[in-house]
Amino acid sequence: MNGSAEPSKRVCEVRIDMVDYDPNLIGSVFEVTDPVPVTAEMVKDFCQAIGESGPLYTEDDAARQGPHGGIVAPPSYAITFRNGRQFFEHIPRFGRQGFDAGKDVEFVAPIRPGDTITLSSHVKEIYEKTGRTGSMVFVVVRSTLKNQNDEVVAHVDHRFMNRP
Amino acid sequence: MPLPQRSYQDVKIGDALGPAEMFLSKDQVRAYARTTGMWVPRFTDDEGARKEGLPGMITPGNMSLALLSKLVTDWIGASAAKLVRVGTTYRQPVLPDHNITLQGFVTHTSDADRTAEMDIWIENEDAERLVIGTATVHFTE
Repeated sequence: MNGSAEPSKRVCEVRIDMVDYDPNLIGSVFEVTDPVPVTAEMVKDFCQAIGESGPLYTEDDAARQGPHGGIVAPPSYAITFRNGRQFFEHIPRFGRQGFDAGKDVEFVAPIRPGDTITLSSHVKEIYEKTGRTGSMVFVVVRSTLKNQNDEVVAHVDHRFMNRP
Repeated sequence: MPLPQRSYQDVKIGDALGPAEMFLSKDQVRAYARTTGMWVPRFTDDEGARKEGLPGMITPGNMSLALLSKLVTDWIGASAAKLVRVGTTYRQPVLPDHNITLQGFVTHTSDADRTAEMDIWIENEDAERLVIGTATVHFTE
């Protein structure tokens, strides 16, 4: 697996491209956040909150002998990083206010205590679907997470649903 | 209890993840909201959530995704494998102070990529699937 995978492929298979929008929106990075430090305490609190007790995430000695050579954050820690203040202002809306319909996350590399994480976000795709409850427009915003070494650690695709 | 350890060859379509039953308390949801910077009424306070038109405080979608990711990493255990992708769709709110069940099963394997695909979901006491998703696990052995 690598960074070229398409996490939202299953959704796209039934889309109908009838939505009118400015194509220049797609792919343009609209926000880059300030770096956020990851501390051992933050990872520990996160593990407690989700009931995680796995040795790779919670036990120094076991983690040192594991595949990552030390404690790492559980994969889903990647979705705890907040987008910036302007994030929602840049999400195109169609009709009534959208809501969070789901996420697709690609885990590329582990996040470790001591890392600092930066998010850059762009609109990845816009498409329309017709379901039992009528027409819906989906806006997928991709946030790419990089660490202090400029390595991609995760891609998070936020899927927002609007009803025209 | 020893962690599961399986190789790619051990994995078969239909293999189960879970079921993992848990009582999801309001305090646990508040702990998640606190530690992830999501301290807003809909995730922390029944009265505040009702003012937003919700039946009471709800579980953040991110927390549901985290719990489902843990279902998969628990299944991986000590195997030479890693979770490389997870996707979720939020169908209905997950209400805290209820029992929920997390489960899934392997839907596809790929010898070329040494990956296993799985369907995963959270259901309530009435067996309604509140959050559904898919995940991909890559095996190195």
